[in-house]
Amino acid sequence: MAQSALVNRHMPVVWRVAFRMLGDRQEAEDVTQETFLRAWKMLPDWEARAKFSTWACTVAINLCRDRMKKKAPVLMETLPEREAADLPPDQALHQKQAGTRIQALIDGLPERQKEAPTLCAFEGLGNKDAAAAMQVSVEALESLLSRARRTLRQALSEGQQE
Amino acid sequence: MSRMDTTDERVLELIEAYGASSMSWPEDEREAAEAHLAAHPARFEAALAAARALDSLFDADMAPEPGPLLAERILASAPRPASQRHSGLAARIGRVLTPNGRRWPAGAALASLGMGLFAGYTASASSLPPAYETEAENVVYGALGYDQFDTYLEEEMLDE
Repeated sequence: MAQSALVNRHMPVVWRVAFRMLGDRQEAEDVTQETFLRAWKMLPDWEARAKFSTWACTVAINLCRDRMKKKAPVLMETLPEREAADLPPDQALHQKQAGTRIQALIDGLPERQKEAPTLCAFEGLGNKDAAAAMQVSVEALESLLSRARRTLRQALSEGQQE
Repeated sequence: MSRMDTTDERVLELIEAYGASSMSWPEDEREAAEAHLAAHPARFEAALAAARALDSLFDADMAPEPGPLLAERILASAPRPASQRHSGLAARIGRVLTPNGRRWPAGAALASLGMGLFAGYTASASSLPPAYETEAENVVYGALGYDQFDTYLEEEMLDE
């Protein structure tokens, strides 16, 4: 029951962080499973130094970084198109397009810049928790967020001019 | 602790990093930044408009959801509570008696030793208070940020 509560509360966030970083549902599931396997081993010695959510995001991010390092770099001339097959059909078309678009724009960001808005803008983590999960200072997190938003705004502006 | 003073530059930095909604800004700076913004709205109009355009895209994101079986798979890998551990103990004893999976000669002395060990272990385990689940739950709910299971349940009910 306790484990079930832990999974229900935190698993979707861990999976979404991994999915947004890796862009692959199955890989995100693998990372989520590995994160919780580590949690089961770690929990008996848990000391309340960090929130579980922050700890889990840190583990998931590190696992994603490892996977991304192993992948061959892909040079993209245009931003990738995110598959829209999973989107519910009854959602408004405008929202669907906007949601798909922001994820595609995020996909085009460098790794660290991608992590910062994923944690703060999408998952709503506070600055201290997000910085802890990324293992950077709050100042570094802010810098990454600013750069990510500048890049996204520029991409949006270029898209509107085309 | 909250910072009560701020500057134009800092408010612009907050908008640039966290967006136009003050709810996204760091808690310890929010109050001062909101007051500064309210006092000098014209100074931040352009930055706020640019930030809002991007914020609306973030807001439009429909959070993807994991597959329905993932939670089951993760829970299947979780440590089992005490009531389900007897077969695990039996298997562990079995591994002690048959290292490397090799079959030992089924001598009577060895068999009785194994049965004695298993019976003793099982009896001692069942005579212990069922502390494993309680301990595990305390650890897990502590990790969730709750001191007690009751507090967790109360908040879960309030959420519903």
